[in-house]
Amino acid sequence: MSASPTTYDVLLDTLSDIGERTDAGMGCLEHEPAVWESRMQATCEALSSHGVLDNLERRLAEDRLGESVYARFPVQTRSTLVVPHLLLERNVFTEEELRRQMEKVRERFDEE
Amino acid sequence: MNAHHDGHHDGHHEAPGEFQIATKVSEFEILELAVRELAIEKGLFSAEDHRKFAEWADGIGPHGGSKLVAKAWVDPDFKQRLLADGTKACLEVGIDWLQPTGVGTPSDYTFFYVLENTPKVHNVIVCTLCSCYPRPVLGMSPDWYRTPNYRRRLVRRPREVLSEFGLHLPPDVEVRVHDSNQKSRFMVMPMRPEGTEGWSEEQLAEIVTRDTMIGVALPEANRTSDTKTETLVSGARRR
Repeated sequence: MSASPTTYDVLLDTLSDIGERTDAGMGCLEHEPAVWESRMQATCEALSSHGVLDNLERRLAEDRLGESVYARFPVQTRSTLVVPHLLLERNVFTEEELRRQMEKVRERFDEE
Repeated sequence: MNAHHDGHHDGHHEAPGEFQIATKVSEFEILELAVRELAIEKGLFSAEDHRKFAEWADGIGPHGGSKLVAKAWVDPDFKQRLLADGTKACLEVGIDWLQPTGVGTPSDYTFFYVLENTPKVHNVIVCTLCSCYPRPVLGMSPDWYRTPNYRRRLVRRPREVLSEFGLHLPPDVEVRVHDSNQKSRFMVMPMRPEGTEGWSEEQLAEIVTRDTMIGVALPEANRTSDTKTETLVSGARRR
């Protein structure tokens, strides 16, 4: 058996924002994709086309992590969680770097 | 611009849907942007690369597939070309599977097959391995299509799953489940419903909804949008 997957608080913390929702609640699974969902898919394609993170490998990780670490997250969030999860695992950036970058983005949003 | 970012909404009672939509955008929008910006900063791809894929994604949707089916319904020669070589026939309605890079996206340049429904055969698509979907003609896949729940159960008990979508097929209609893969994408060409005689291609395209091209619904003369998958909630089993 493989070891338990790593968890990252910076990603798990987002659950408080969206609320717990599993596959069993499939009635929630019909919605217009938000812009961030579509932009995340563009990130996935860009990563795959540059050989950084293959799409199939990512999708398999979405299944694996989506049924373990992120089981309580709605399915539409999985790419957005799993891509940084895999990049953190590969030391492409650190949890601290991600947290800092999120803070920068948040500050930009809050700036009127 | 973003009163929704704090998620508190001054303590008054929001409609549940309103509250969820408002709050879910914030942290995930921030996370998406942060990841994208870090990836660009680290040189994993360029902003231009991202823009190219984002613009492509913005332009695709089920309208592409609707146009294909409507044209095939009124033009038997086109229908034959579509069934013979889906990728090539798509060019006739302005859909180029080689976009946006010249070789497609990393996951979309594949063989595209259109599956014709008949009075005795009903087709439905799935991807059991991951969530392969004919995006150039149908756009982003619905969330339920990507769930292990749909993917596992459709191949095991297709009639049961279809009935949860409200599609009850007679026993003498054969159900064929087509499992997409890295190289093959499928789309269902439903049968033209009664009551649409004399309709224009544009009128016909309106009733060819996404779900009819996945195969979990049938087109009807008075139906122009897909219903929610509420029925799947009560029937859903995790394994």
